This record gives sequence, structure tokens and C-alpha cells, in this order.
Amino acid sequence: MSNEKFLSAQIKRRTLLQSMAAVGAAAGASTLGLNRAFAQEPEKPAEIIVRAWGGSWVDALKAGVSDSFTKATGIAVRHDLTEDNEIQPKVWAAVAQKRVPPIHINWDTTTNATKSALRGVTEDLSDLPNLKNTTELSKPVGLDGYPIVNTYGYVYVLAFRPEAFPNGAPKSWKDLLDPKLKGRIALYNDGIGFHFPAQVAGGGKLEDIPGNMQPAWDFITKIKAQQPLLGEDPDFTTWFQRGEIDAACTISTNAREAKKNGISIDWVVPEEGAKFDTDGLWIPKGLPENELYWAKQYINHALTKEAQQVWLDGLGLPGVVPGLTPPADLVGDPSYPTTDEDFKHLIRISTKVQVENESQWFAKFKEIMQG
Amino acid sequence: MTGSLSKSIVIWTFVAASLVMLSAPTIVVLGASFTAGNMITFPPEGLSLKWYAAISQASGLRQAFFRSLYVATICTLIAIPVGTLAGIALAKYRVRFGRTIQVYLLLPFTIPLIGSGIGMMLAFGNAGLAGQLWPLGVACAVINLPFMIWAVTASASNLSPDLELAAANCGAPPLQRFLYITLPAVMPGVITGSLLMFILALNEFLVSLLLVDARNVTLPVQIYNSIRSIITPDLAAISVVFIACAAIAIAVLDRLVGLDVFLKSK
Amino acid sequence: MRPSRAAYPMRWRVMDSLERIAGLLWPRSFSAGLPYLMLLPALLLVGVLVWGLVEIGDSSLRTLDTSTFLMSENYTLANYQRALNERFFTTVAGRSLMGSLIVTVITLVFAFPYSYLMVRTPSSALRKFLLVALFLPFFIGQVVRAYGWLIILGNQGMVNEALGLVGVSPIRLLYNYPAVLFGLVQYMLPFAVLMLAPAMTAIPAELESAASSLGANWISTFRHIVLPLSKPGLVGAGLVVFTLSLTDFAIPAILGGGSQDFIANAIYDQFFRTSDQGMGATLSLLLVAVGSILVGLVFMVFGAGTLAMGGDRK
Repeated sequence: MSNEKFLSAQIKRRTLLQSMAAVGAAAGASTLGLNRAFAQEPEKPAEIIVRAWGGSWVDALKAGVSDSFTKATGIAVRHDLTEDNEIQPKVWAAVAQKRVPPIHINWDTTTNATKSALRGVTEDLSDLPNLKNTTELSKPVGLDGYPIVNTYGYVYVLAFRPEAFPNGAPKSWKDLLDPKLKGRIALYNDGIGFHFPAQVAGGGKLEDIPGNMQPAWDFITKIKAQQPLLGEDPDFTTWFQRGEIDAACTISTNAREAKKNGISIDWVVPEEGAKFDTDGLWIPKGLPENELYWAKQYINHALTKEAQQVWLDGLGLPGVVPGLTPPADLVGDPSYPTTDEDFKHLIRISTKVQVENESQWFAKFKEIMQG
Repeated sequence: MTGSLSKSIVIWTFVAASLVMLSAPTIVVLGASFTAGNMITFPPEGLSLKWYAAISQASGLRQAFFRSLYVATICTLIAIPVGTLAGIALAKYRVRFGRTIQVYLLLPFTIPLIGSGIGMMLAFGNAGLAGQLWPLGVACAVINLPFMIWAVTASASNLSPDLELAAANCGAPPLQRFLYITLPAVMPGVITGSLLMFILALNEFLVSLLLVDARNVTLPVQIYNSIRSIITPDLAAISVVFIACAAIAIAVLDRLVGLDVFLKSK
Repeated sequence: MRPSRAAYPMRWRVMDSLERIAGLLWPRSFSAGLPYLMLLPALLLVGVLVWGLVEIGDSSLRTLDTSTFLMSENYTLANYQRALNERFFTTVAGRSLMGSLIVTVITLVFAFPYSYLMVRTPSSALRKFLLVALFLPFFIGQVVRAYGWLIILGNQGMVNEALGLVGVSPIRLLYNYPAVLFGLVQYMLPFAVLMLAPAMTAIPAELESAASSLGANWISTFRHIVLPLSKPGLVGAGLVVFTLSLTDFAIPAILGGGSQDFIANAIYDQFFRTSDQGMGATLSLLLVAVGSILVGLVFMVFGAGTLAMGGDRK
């Protein structure tokens, strides 16, 4: 196999990330230094624990935010790869039982984070100095203050292997119904990202969400007949790399990671649109005062332009600080929306609707897929 | 004679298939851990120890391994006295409600592991014990206790009431009779049982998954989390650590008790 | 008469005082209670499980409020209604029950000749080899083993590479129902053999020779002698394999590709994906009930087989 190519690609990327991290660290140190002048610095913990997604996600966070944070403060950062859904009840239980929560910072989907905010387990982050430099995307919708800070947006694209589509890129989500793709497509195991485009592809209207989602369920039932694989973020990268699948509804980051590893892969926003959403960072209640302070510093640091630039270059996603340079391979890419024109093709559903209904959608999706 | 030949063929076919099923994953993981490439492939692309070097550097994996050892130690330390006493009591005495007690002591086996795990997760959580490591040791002792009791009762066939009576006749008081007669008789069972307990706790996955916290994951959970992430050969290398532990345990067991103990009819 | 001191060593004196303490704490007249005292720690330890079951029972009666994501204060049976009526849960339960039944049968079919050969072989080297081959995977744990199968059966795995050499294009061997069943069979095999072997040891080899000297071929010897006499082992092995497969989590999770959930996965999802602790607890309790009823029935009909712990086993 083209192992050499794959290796050198990886090395190049690593060194690139490292050199950029160094730049970020220098800049980050100065912003942190500024805060020091105002607040008396509480005692530093030996480490802070950040829950993160595995694979390229954690690599990017480490290169962009954690390494430079450690460099500036001397506090080690440990990345915990417990799944986001699994950490949630554990954090909730810890807060309910007045224990110290298992993590300092949760890197979470905005919908899940909002659930935690509604439950009252999040610390308010309104006083982070760097918030004033951010775009409105960073502000969570429908919540008081900043129980969460959104840090970037992303698109659930249709990723595919060009060899499997000799007649050109797929134009519609309906192209996944092609019989020759049977057993060769993949979705998230709770269907996240797929419910809304499925609603359109099934002939329904986005305005009917959440009242009437029958078109979405009908379309998903058709997809079920195609025997999709169901997984989580890193699974998509692995499956593309091992030739298990030809197409997937996934966040562009996972497809881009396989591409970086030398796999021929591309992605589109089909005509029905694709779901746009945000992820954020939040801090659970119950941390000792000094650890809370440093956890806040971490998030504040994640909002610096330098940290965002490196972190989001790794992820290939648009951030919440103005003036970031898009990665060269993503200029004009539909998975990296920057202009109003870009956003026209993307589906955005209010956080409130998602928070109230998402578990039911997940359950319904599971029901169809397990049937 | 032909009957015996066809019998051998049939039996050996099944046994060969079983051997492949039992051994293939072990061999493949062993092989993959020595790869020089960056992806898991079998046969490996060139030989190297680089992934072992990588895991020896990874403090996360090392800490997870030590945590697993700690859990297994606590589990074994609890199980030895508890299981030995219970096993001797069941084997030596006619206990009233013996059947009920047996059914009760088999609960860890009859309650599905996920049920036990969830129950202990809720119970320990409400008791404010969650987030610590030692309750996991207790939990492992609970769910595997039947193994310890079985091992002890199985070797209780060596227990001869006559021997104890003789000792009593010679004036040995009860504690001495227990320490010098009863206990040595069931010793093979205790050794077998404690090794089983140790290894099972070292490998315990599901209950660990439910009871651990991000701050203290054990090795099987760490491996599971990594399988869900990108699969790289360092996972194979760390799995080999498990294989090595298993091999050592088997060697010890064979040395001290003899593996044949498992073939004994009860 | 000084030497008496030396003649009565320290150890004896320690033992004497220990005896006295034991006698004080537990006078002879209590001796009928001794076995219960010895059982007490085990009873307490297993009590942790009972405590857990009570907690599960409590949670199962509360529902999730999706506006605050807290569990309701008052008790209701709504979760049980949902569990019994929603098709998803019955589908998953059906798949798990059917799957464990198939796994049990296949595992016993493989375990039977394995234990037979292991018990009957005259070569002690072969016996040791078979035992080691059994214990190594048993001690390695299912996560690592499932991981091995991912490498072997993947689209670019060994089996497909081998098929590719003879010109067969890659076929999907992973992430489907058969893959999960296969994974369970290989995981359960050591358990089954270890439960079967003692029962087979108990069958006198002379019985078999007698049967064959009377003209029975090996198949009828197996059918009329070995099979019936290994019943305690078959019951024990069958029970263990069935309950462990019914409630397994890791194999369906790793080899199932997300669409082959067993009950344990559904329970896990309720707790950790939907955050609906009440529903998860309900499913756990139902699973405990189904499992216990099954085990109870088998115990009543066949006895505990090789699962019995000393005492009155039969």
C-alpha cells in the first residue's frame, strides 16, 4: 500500500501543527498575562481534565489549545475520551451528589450542553474577557448569560469516495438509495445530522419540525433497507480508511482526516441541504475555586485568535473569532461556511426545538435502525 | 475400528475449529503489535518494537494499567476470606435453608452483569462513593464471588471429617483445627479461586465502564474507548500486556495447583 | 524447672491466646451458629447487589422530565407500559433472546467434543495444551478478543485478503447479526467447556467400553451414555452461556456496527445516550426478572447441575 505517502502526509501535518502551536503559545501567553494583572492568581492545579472526542478531534484541540495553555501556565491538560453522552449523566450525578465533577471542561455539542445548562449544572462564563472579541455564533441561544461558549460551527456533509461515484458527485441524499451502495453507507448511531435533510429528502418541510416528521422517518426507513453502518466520529475515518464504506453523513472533519491519510475522498452539501450546528465548551459546577478559575482560563484561551486558528485548522471548521484564515484546502468549501450565501444551503433548527425533541428523534431513529 | 476412526475425525474437526476460534484473536493481536507500519495489518509490515516503546511512554495507559492492578488486588483481598469461609461452610456443614442460601449466593451469576453494574452505580452514587476506585474492587468481588466459592467447594472433597475428629481427639482446639486441617485441605481451591478473581477483575469491562469516572479509567475501559477512536497498533501492544498477564496467571496456576483441577468431577 | 519456657514456644502461646479470644467471642454453645457466621460475610457482600436492585426499582418508577432533565418525584408505572408496548424494546429483546438461544446451542455443540477429548485423552501433554488454549482467551477478556476479530474479519482483514487471492471480492463479515453471534460463541466457549468438563470426568470410561463391547457404535454410545450422563454439565454450561450472552454488551457493541443491539446496549443507551435513568432502570429490572425466572425454571426442572456450590448437590 502507499504507506510511505500516508506516513509523510502525517508527519508533515504534525510538524505543521506543532510550529503553529508554538506561535499560538507565544500569543496566548500574552493574553493570559493580561488577565494576571487584574485577578490575583489562585493556586494552580497539577492538571485540568478536558473531555474531548477522539481521533483527529483531540489531536487538533491538543495542538491548538491545550499545548499552548500548558506552555503559558505550566498546568498539564489531560484529555478524557469518554463519549459526550456518557459523561453527561456522570457529571449530572456528581453535581446532584455534591461531589467534585469528573472533568473540568466538557467539549460538547451545543444541544447536549444546553440540556446540562437547563439542569443547572453549568458555571456561568459571562466574565471571560475574550468573549468580547467573538462573533454572535459564540452566544448560546435561548439561555441567560453564557452557561456554554460555542467555539465553532460545523456541517454534517455527505462524504463519499469518488471511485464509487463514477458519474460524478452525488447531488442528493436520495443518491444514497442506489442499490449498489447497499451495506456501503454509514450514519451516526443516533442519526444526528441526518434527521433534518431526511425530512426534506422524504418530501417534508423543515417548518413541520418537530410537529410532523413522518417524511423524515419514511426516508430513514428506506435508508435502513440499505443496511448502513452506524458509528461515532472516529468510526467514519476508520471505515473510510479501511474501505468499509463508500458514503456517509458525517461531520466534514472525519472525512477530511481520512483524506489527509491519503484516502481519496470528497464531500458535498446535497440539494436538500445539510445540518449546520455548533459545539461549545462548558464547566460543570462543584469544582474547587482555584480549579474553576483555571478552567475558565482554559476556555478564555480557547477563544483567542491564535488558539482558534490552530485548533480549527486541525478540525477544518469555521470558528467564532473574526479574521481567521481558512485552511488552504477548504477555501470556498461548502463545509466551511463563511458567507450568507453559504449558509443558505444549510439547515439550522433552533436549539430549543432540538433540546426538547432530540432524545425522541434519537429513539425513533434507533427504533427504525434496530427493527 | 472404523467407528473409532470416524469418531476421532468428528471430534478432531470440532476441536480444531474451536482451537482456531479460541486462539486466532490472540495470535493476530500479538502479531499486529510488532508491526513497523502505522496501521493495524496482518501479517505485519516489517518487525519493530516501536509500538511497545510508544506505550511505555504513554502515561495514560500505564496509569490505567496500575489502576486495574489496584482494583484486582482489592477484589482478591476481599474475595479470599469471604469466599473461603463461605465455601467451607457450604461444603462442611449441613446448613438450614442451604438451598435458599445457595440461590442467594448465586445471585451475582443470575443477575445480568448490566443489571448488577447499574444497580451498584446507583447505589454507590447515592452513598457518595462514586468517583473512587476501591468501590470498583468491591464490585468486582461481588460479581465474581461465585467463582471463588465454587473453587473452594470443589476442593472441599479433600476435607475429611475423620481427620478433624482425630485432631480434636488429640486435644486440638477449634481454631487450630481450622488453621492446620481445614484450611490446608482447601488450599488448592483458594489458590485457584484467587487467581480467577484477580484475572477476572483485571479484565472486568462492563462494570468498570459503569463505575469509573473520567479521572480513573481502568485499562479495559481505556482500550474500549480507544477502539472507538482511531485504531492504531499501540492498542495491540497494550493488549499484549493482558495476554502476558494471562500467561503468567496460567503458569502460576499450573505450578501451584495444576490445571487439571478444573477437570475434577465435583 | 526453668526449661519449660523454652519447651513451650512463642507460637503455641500465640495460638493459645488466639484460641482463648475465639472461645470468648464465640463460646462452644454457639457452635451450631458457626456455619452461619462463616457465611455472613458472603451474604453481606452479595447484599450489595440487593441494595443495587432496590435502587434500580426506585429509579424505574420515575420518568424523565425533558424540560429540566430531572427525574420525577412521584412514582408511576409509565416506564413499564412503554417498555412492554414500544416495538423497539420488544425487537431488541427478541433479538437478544433468539441470539442467546442460538449461541447456547452452537457453543454446546463445540464445547462438547472439546471437553470430551480433554477429559478422555490419554496424553497429558495434549490435555495441558487444550487447557492452556482454553484459559488464555478466558483470561484475556472480551474487549481484546473482539479487537482481534476486527483485525481478522475486516474488509481489508486477513480473511478477505485470503479470499482476494482466489479472486473473491471482499465480503462484509463484520457489523451484522452473524458476526455478533460468532463473537459470542467464541467468547462463551471457555465458560462452556469449564462447566462441562467436571461432569464428563464423572462418567466412568468403563461404561463406554462396556457399551462398545456390547456392540454399540460410538454414535449410540454418545447418545445413550455420554450425553445423558453429562446432563449436569450441559445444564450448568447452557445456563451460564445463555445468561451471559443474553446480557452481553461488548460483543454487540464492537462487532455489531451499531445496528445489532442486545438488551444491555439498549439499557446502556437509555442511561448514557437518552439520559433517561428511569427507562434504563425499568429495562434492567425486566431483564433481571426474565433472567432469574429462566434460571429458576431450569433449576427446578434440572437441578443446579455443575453450578451447585457444595452441600446437597445432585
